[in-house]
Amino acid sequence: MVEIKNLSKKYGDKLAVDSISFTVKQGEILGFLGPNGAGKSTTMNILTGYLSATSGEVSIDGYDILDNPVEAKKRIGYLPEHPPLYMDMTVWEYLDFVYDLKKVTEDREAHLDSICETVKLTDVKDRLIANLSKGYKQRVGLAQALIGNPEVLILDEPTVGLDPKQIIEIRSVIKQLGRDHTVILSSHILQEVNAICERVIIINKGRLVASDTPENLGKSISNENKFQLRVAGDERSILDVLEPVAGIQYIKSLGRKEAGSIDFIIEAAPNVDVRTPIFNALAAASLPILSLQTMDLSLEEIFLEVTKGQAVAEAGEVDEDEIELVNMPAAAAAVKEAAEKEEEGADLHDSNL
Amino acid sequence: MTAIYKRELRSYFKNPVGYIFLSAFIFFASLMFVFINLNSQQTSLSGFFSNVSLIFVFVIPVLTMRLFSEERKSKTDQLLLTAPVRVTDIVFGKFLAAATVLLIGVVATMLFIPIMERYGTPDVTESLVGYFGLLLMGLLFVSLGMFMSSITESQVIAAVSTLVIIFFLWFIGGLSLQFSEMLTGWLSWLGKFLDWLLDFISINNRFYDFTLGTLNLVPVFYFVSLTGLFVFLTIRVIERRRWK
Repeated sequence: MVEIKNLSKKYGDKLAVDSISFTVKQGEILGFLGPNGAGKSTTMNILTGYLSATSGEVSIDGYDILDNPVEAKKRIGYLPEHPPLYMDMTVWEYLDFVYDLKKVTEDREAHLDSICETVKLTDVKDRLIANLSKGYKQRVGLAQALIGNPEVLILDEPTVGLDPKQIIEIRSVIKQLGRDHTVILSSHILQEVNAICERVIIINKGRLVASDTPENLGKSISNENKFQLRVAGDERSILDVLEPVAGIQYIKSLGRKEAGSIDFIIEAAPNVDVRTPIFNALAAASLPILSLQTMDLSLEEIFLEVTKGQAVAEAGEVDEDEIELVNMPAAAAAVKEAAEKEEEGADLHDSNL
Repeated sequence: MTAIYKRELRSYFKNPVGYIFLSAFIFFASLMFVFINLNSQQTSLSGFFSNVSLIFVFVIPVLTMRLFSEERKSKTDQLLLTAPVRVTDIVFGKFLAAATVLLIGVVATMLFIPIMERYGTPDVTESLVGYFGLLLMGLLFVSLGMFMSSITESQVIAAVSTLVIIFFLWFIGGLSLQFSEMLTGWLSWLGKFLDWLLDFISINNRFYDFTLGTLNLVPVFYFVSLTGLFVFLTIRVIERRRWK
C-alpha cells in the first residue's frame, strides 16, 4: 500500500533522513518509533507530499507522490504533529471546508456526522476551534484526516499532550480505524506502539535500526528462559530448594523487595521449561511462590539498546557495515551485552551487602 | 480552488481585516471625493483617481499580509499542501478571495457617479475606464502583497515590505524627469535610459491614461502581465519550499 525506497532528506548539510526503505501492507498498523529529532516527522511529511525528498521514492497505492501527487494525496489522511486547524472556524465549518478541499463525493451530512461520531466530536461541533481544549483539538485534527475515507492514515504523534484518559480514548479509536485502514503512526512512547501496532519500525538519527512485531522485538532480544521469581521465605532455605532443580543453570538473588519474600532471577537451560519443577519443589517445601514471570525486555529497553548500539557504531567502535544491514541480530547482540553488563553490576551490588 | 476561495473570503469577514480594509478604503476615498469633486464642483473623476491610488499603498498590505504567512505560522499550510489540490489552485483561490474584497471596495466607491449625476453631467464612460484602471492597479498590488506574504512567516514583515515596495513604485514616476538633466554630455544616454526605466516601472505613469478615461492596450497589458508574474512567483515559492 505504502512503499518507501531509499528515502533521504537533507536540510542544508544536515542529513535528517538517511536512505530509509520500508513497505506497509494494506490493513497494517505500523508504529514509527524514535527519539525526538530522529526524523519521524520529516519522513511523515515526505510521505504526505508536504516536503520533497532529496532522493528516493514514495508511492501510495502505486501512485508516486511526486509524479502523481493529486491521486496519491487522495488516498492519504494526515494528522501532522500540530493539528492544522483554523482557529476562527467552528468544528463543523472546518470539517465542511476540509470536505470541500478534498473533493469528497460521499453524502456530506452523513459522512461528517459519522466521523464526528467516531472521534466523539458531536457535542462540540458548533463550538469555535480556538475555544476547544487540547484533547478536542487533537480529535478535530484526527477527524480532518478521516474525511474522504482515505485508505492510508498517517498520524504523527497522535496522543502527544493529551491526558491519560484521552490517550486511552484516542488509542482505541486508532485501533478501531486500523480494522479497515492502513495506519502509520509515529510515537516516542513505547507503550503506545506496543498497545496499538502490529509492526514497529525504529529509527534513530535518520536511520532505520529495527523493524519487526513488538512481540518479536521483545522475544528475539530477551532470553526466553529467564524468569523473575518472588518467593515468601528466607533466602537460604529457598536457595536450598531451588539449587537441586534440574534444568536451572543460574540463580541470582535480588534481595528483598516485598516484606517476607525474596526475589530471584533464574535462567534455565535452552528448551527446558523449569516452571513446573520449580513450583513443585517450592510447594513441597511449603515456600509459596508469590510471582513468576518471564523476563522479556520491554520495548523501552530494546529501544534504548538498539539506539545506543548505533551510537557506538557511529563512534567507530563497531564495523559500520554491520550496523547498516538493518537487522535484528546486531541489535539483539547489543541488547544482550548490555543486559549482561547490568547483571554484573547487580552481582557486585549483592556481594557488597 | 472554490473551497479555498470560500474559506478565505469568509475569513476576511470573520476577522477585523476585511472590515478594516473596506472601511479605511471607502472612508478615505469618500473624503477625497468630497474635497476634489464636490467642494470644487468638478465632474471629472480624474483628479480623484490619481489621488485615490495613494490609499491603496496603505490599505492593500492589510488585505494581503496574512494570505500565506498566517497559514505557515499556524501550520495550516500542512493541510492545504497535503490535500489533493494543486498549488496553483491554492494560490488562485487566495488571490481571487483578496481580489473579491478589493472589488467590493472599488464598486462601493462607484456610488460617486450617481451622486454626481444628481447635480451635474459627469462623463460616465470616462469614469468607468478610470475605475477599471483602479481595479487593475489594485490587483497588481494584491498579487505583489500575496507574493511578499508567501516568502515570510511574519504578517508584519509581509505588510511592511509590501507597503514599502508599492510606495516606491508609486512615487518613482516623479523622479523620472531628472536624470537626463543631471547626466549630460557623453553620459546622456544613461540619463535617458534611467528616465525610461523609471517611467516604465512607475505604476502611476501607467495608470495615468486610465485617469483621463483613455483605454490603451499597453497599460492594460502592463498591469495584467505584472499581476500574472507575481501570482506565478507565489506558486513557485510555495512549490520550492518543499525542497528546502
